[in-house]
Amino acid sequence: MGSNLILVLVVGAAVCFDFTNGFHDTANAMATSIATGALKPLVAVLISAVLNFVGAFISISVATTIAKGIVPSSATAGVDGLTIVEAALIGAITWNLITWYFTIPSSSSHALIGGLIGAAFAAVGSSAISVHGIIQKVVAPGILAVFVCGIAAFVATSAAYLLIRRLGQEEARRGYRYGQIGSASLVSLAHGTNDAQKSMGIIALALISTGHISAAHFYVPTWVKLICATAMALGTASGGWRIINTMGNRITTVESPQGFSAESSSAATILASSYCGYPLSTTQTVSGGVMGAGLGKRGGVVHWPVVGQMVVAWAITIPLAGALGYTAWHIADLFGTNSEVGAVVIAALAAAGAFGLWTLSKRNRVTPEDLDRTNVTPELEAERAEAASPVPA
Amino acid sequence: MFVLATPIVDWNAMWKIFLVALAAGAGVVVFFGFMLLGLKISQGPATNRAAHDAGADGTQSAGPDRTPSAGARLGGFTLSLVCGLIVVGVIAVGVYAMTQKPKSKPAKPKSALVIPAGSSVRLIASSG
Repeated sequence: MGSNLILVLVVGAAVCFDFTNGFHDTANAMATSIATGALKPLVAVLISAVLNFVGAFISISVATTIAKGIVPSSATAGVDGLTIVEAALIGAITWNLITWYFTIPSSSSHALIGGLIGAAFAAVGSSAISVHGIIQKVVAPGILAVFVCGIAAFVATSAAYLLIRRLGQEEARRGYRYGQIGSASLVSLAHGTNDAQKSMGIIALALISTGHISAAHFYVPTWVKLICATAMALGTASGGWRIINTMGNRITTVESPQGFSAESSSAATILASSYCGYPLSTTQTVSGGVMGAGLGKRGGVVHWPVVGQMVVAWAITIPLAGALGYTAWHIADLFGTNSEVGAVVIAALAAAGAFGLWTLSKRNRVTPEDLDRTNVTPELEAERAEAASPVPA
Repeated sequence: MFVLATPIVDWNAMWKIFLVALAAGAGVVVFFGFMLLGLKISQGPATNRAAHDAGADGTQSAGPDRTPSAGARLGGFTLSLVCGLIVVGVIAVGVYAMTQKPKSKPAKPKSALVIPAGSSVRLIASSG
């Protein structure tokens, strides 16, 4: 009974994580399309939501990797593993909400890994952590993603503006806006194939460890696919306007050729890295792309103080999500080993924290109307460029 | 000892990713730009077209007729078509790549978290 209750809490936490992942990462795909007026904000997030939903069903290789390839089937036998996973998810969700409140794009995958590290460290000790593995598979790719995509976007933007001299500004802007819709859609689809499946893998892992599905005949149940895809799509559709504002407007002032270059380079980088089996963080890849696109235009300006804030957030994501996971596991453990009461308490605390952050966020809301650029006149655009400030709203 | 000997960065994979990102990311943007350029050539300058149309109504002087020759139109259309097909092809390859993700590889050098065998729980996690 106890294990079933904790299993339900793990499934609930995984679904909540998918939801926060959705609204946190909408910006990766759609921020530049919204910023250039290629799409209305609500239309953009709806397209992204649908493609995330579809992407979740395209392949289950990521879910299989998490459920079978990474964690040995015998490893999580018993409820211990479930409590660790629940604490990890709570740490990741809380960190996602904190960075969302502070309008900073940070990696949801890194938050999840940080949460796992913290919870496992609390349960088992320092022998649980392979520092070399963390640097090799998380830190180094995170740093390199920014540069790989940034250089590609820089080259793409420079080439685009060379062509624009022959095309004419207005025709180029209009044309590249259509291109942006396609490239942003590709990023959304890629995001769905990757990120929705992390939660699917975690739920499948929990189901294996409680004997509900067989490790030998592994599959992801349809209901798991459906709830994860739906949670990701709903999270995406809910907007994440605060982070969209940062990614689309505060790093640099994006024009449609820059947006198209950033998104195309991001899509190519994400897909190439996934195909090579060397996955890079979507958030850091797209952020690098936006920076590269900002620098690729002659006279383009990147607001380095905003980039600095993002880099700091990236650097502290794993330690602080880890600290949250660590704390969550210890709070649960206060009520006894594998206690369902402890599992309920940490879930309730996380829900209260989420409600508190949501209430606080109402003080400085960012709405879709604030971000809509589809009807912006050149005069208003000039005023906007003048008013653009690197200081957070 | 094995762990120490494992390189921090898989430069072979990184190099491939960088080349693909540069070729596909920048390539799509360039070909898309040429597609727009081809369309522009095949249709002629928009401003002149507008002026020409206005003149035909008799409300405004038409100005010099700079409608592109048939050859230029065909050349522009061909350029646009070829580049458009390349862009669509690259996108199709991208979508195909999504459905063909490699199966999980051996986790030896990938582990970020390893809970010792003697423990009641063992978990391994890696970046996704």
